[in-house]
Amino acid sequence: MANLIANMLTPEFFFSIFRISAPIIYATLGAIVVEKAGFANIGLEGLMMFSALFGSLISYYTQNWFWGFIFALFVGVVMSLVMGFFAFKLKTDIILVGIAINMMGSGGTLFLCKVITGITEGNTLASTTGLVTSKLMIPSINIPIISSIPFIGRVISGHSLLTYLAFIFCYLTYLMLYKTSLGLNIRAVGENPGAASSVGVSVLKIKYIAIAFSGLMSGFGGAFMSMSYAQGWSLDMVAGRGFIALAAQAMGGGECFGGMLSSILFGFAQALGIKFSSIGVDSNLASPIPYAITIISLTIFGIVNKRKAYKK
Amino acid sequence: MTKKREMIFSIVRAALAILISLVVAMLLIFISADGSSVGEKFKMTGEALKQLLIGPLFRVNANGVSFEGKRLADILSAMIPTIFTGLSVCVMFSANQFNLGSEGGIMLGAFVSAVVAIYYPMPAGLHAVMAVVIGGAVVALVMLVPAILKVKLDVSEMVCSLMLNYVIMYIIKYLMNNYYADKTKGQIQTYPFLNSSRIASIVNNPVINSAKLTWGFVIALIAVIITGLFMYRSRWGYQIRMIGINKDFSKYSGMKVGFIIVISQVIGGFLAGAGGGIEVLGRYNTFSWSSLPGYGWTGITIAILAGNNPYYVPLAAFFMAYLQKGCDMMATYANVPMQLISIVQAVIFLFFAAEQFLSKYKQSLVVKTAQEEIAAKAALSKEGGAANG
Repeated sequence: MANLIANMLTPEFFFSIFRISAPIIYATLGAIVVEKAGFANIGLEGLMMFSALFGSLISYYTQNWFWGFIFALFVGVVMSLVMGFFAFKLKTDIILVGIAINMMGSGGTLFLCKVITGITEGNTLASTTGLVTSKLMIPSINIPIISSIPFIGRVISGHSLLTYLAFIFCYLTYLMLYKTSLGLNIRAVGENPGAASSVGVSVLKIKYIAIAFSGLMSGFGGAFMSMSYAQGWSLDMVAGRGFIALAAQAMGGGECFGGMLSSILFGFAQALGIKFSSIGVDSNLASPIPYAITIISLTIFGIVNKRKAYKK
Repeated sequence: MTKKREMIFSIVRAALAILISLVVAMLLIFISADGSSVGEKFKMTGEALKQLLIGPLFRVNANGVSFEGKRLADILSAMIPTIFTGLSVCVMFSANQFNLGSEGGIMLGAFVSAVVAIYYPMPAGLHAVMAVVIGGAVVALVMLVPAILKVKLDVSEMVCSLMLNYVIMYIIKYLMNNYYADKTKGQIQTYPFLNSSRIASIVNNPVINSAKLTWGFVIALIAVIITGLFMYRSRWGYQIRMIGINKDFSKYSGMKVGFIIVISQVIGGFLAGAGGGIEVLGRYNTFSWSSLPGYGWTGITIAILAGNNPYYVPLAAFFMAYLQKGCDMMATYANVPMQLISIVQAVIFLFFAAEQFLSKYKQSLVVKTAQEEIAAKAALSKEGGAANG
């Protein structure tokens, strides 16, 4: 145990918490905005898979990380608009649309990967890991002055560009939701679509914007997964982060700051799991920690909420 | 709308959804087909499509087309686990509970049944039944977690069950690695099941044996009938469907909504778990799953295709198994990656679930029916008027 704690109190450990939290933060922001608009996007997982795949592939074909990154965002937005078309135009239950996107995200990305690259490692597995070089990853940034502070420097500086952006986006999303007319419209549509439309807000348009925003965030998250977290795309690499984000949204009370904190909690759980396996605990016992913590914290959150409701 | 028109509408709708997904499949196959020229690609696409559409039942070669009993048996046997997960999802979704735990449930059920089958000797016959029932019961208990959290604390059953899937998978892997694995084998697998626990083939015939078409198939069909009777002929089943349609109404009319929501997920869990046990005891000699099998997701598709009606589940399961076999055939003979299935599956799924898909056509049918009714009434009143006058 002492060994574990000594292992944990390193700058690398805290560094890894931020790194692991970043994709969850993006997905959580997406979940927050659609929730504010009054529905749930459970397809974040699948959207992230698609963005991760295309980000990695396009960066390989253009030999430029930037285009891969942009394309990842583009794919996220387009796929989310398709989801919106099915949900709002064809009146499919939004949860079922999400399930469908997740189905595609798992096997479908592997299919596309095999078809586009022609790689088949064995019969079942394929990934883009072999194609991508470290040059094609999203660059890391050393913050000049902070990086020279002893402990904190090594925790805060040297992250990928997208890790910093994740935290900046928390603030930007907050501003968008509470300080702009668009944000007001989104919240109005979520709370009372009838009232919103009676004052001339196009409910449909706002819903499309909200789902596109969640697609954009999934694009960031997906790009981060394949172009920063790991080198290249591989099957099921998002590993439930899109679902964890839904839990983080709920636990954060549907607000940006709370969602960020919950995401960091999950990042911590995952970093802890990795630490456990590094000191010799079976990784299969360490890997379920973040998922189990999600259930436990949702339970605690539920109890707290219930208490609050009683007091009222 | 008349019953007949409604029937026609659902058939047209289903056919069109399948057609659209086939067109999508065709496009993807065309893109992935080998061949340097467009003509060559077309030819390859044609070959691949032939494998996809008739390959599951017939052997296609230069000599023509010949029926393959083995492939049909394969399809029927592949339906066993998905019928169970399909039923499981039907029951849970009918109550409007989006519990996605049948994926982890079937894996847990398979694992628990396997453990019972290996370590607890019992008389032949009884052993298999007990193993499957215990497998189902354990999953039913686990499903209490999302169900009770939902009812008591309003925690999303969807998120909770998804997280549970991962927890279940990793814990089973951990237990396998550390306690149950047969260390003499290169692959991680358990010791063989005791003979008394095996689920036998329906008939002792080499084709049926190799396809693993076991009594599990018959049990699955019986489960369909029982679930159907439960949903449409029992008080709990009625309440489950009512809660799915209108929760508030059910509450105000005096149903114990919370209790029924829990029941629906417990039954769903039991079905998924029992399905896992039947699958693993019928198909394998040891338990060796190292990841979630995907039957839960297929089960969701099946439930949607069946419109949450248990009686249609076998049909939908057959369709999905047929499609899966077709994709396997295509992968083997036409070099198209078999993961095409997940895209095709998702497209069909989307169009089936889309309420407004073909709504204009439906509208026109409704209008037509109404006009006919009005015309009939007008004719009647005219006659009446004439008689009076």
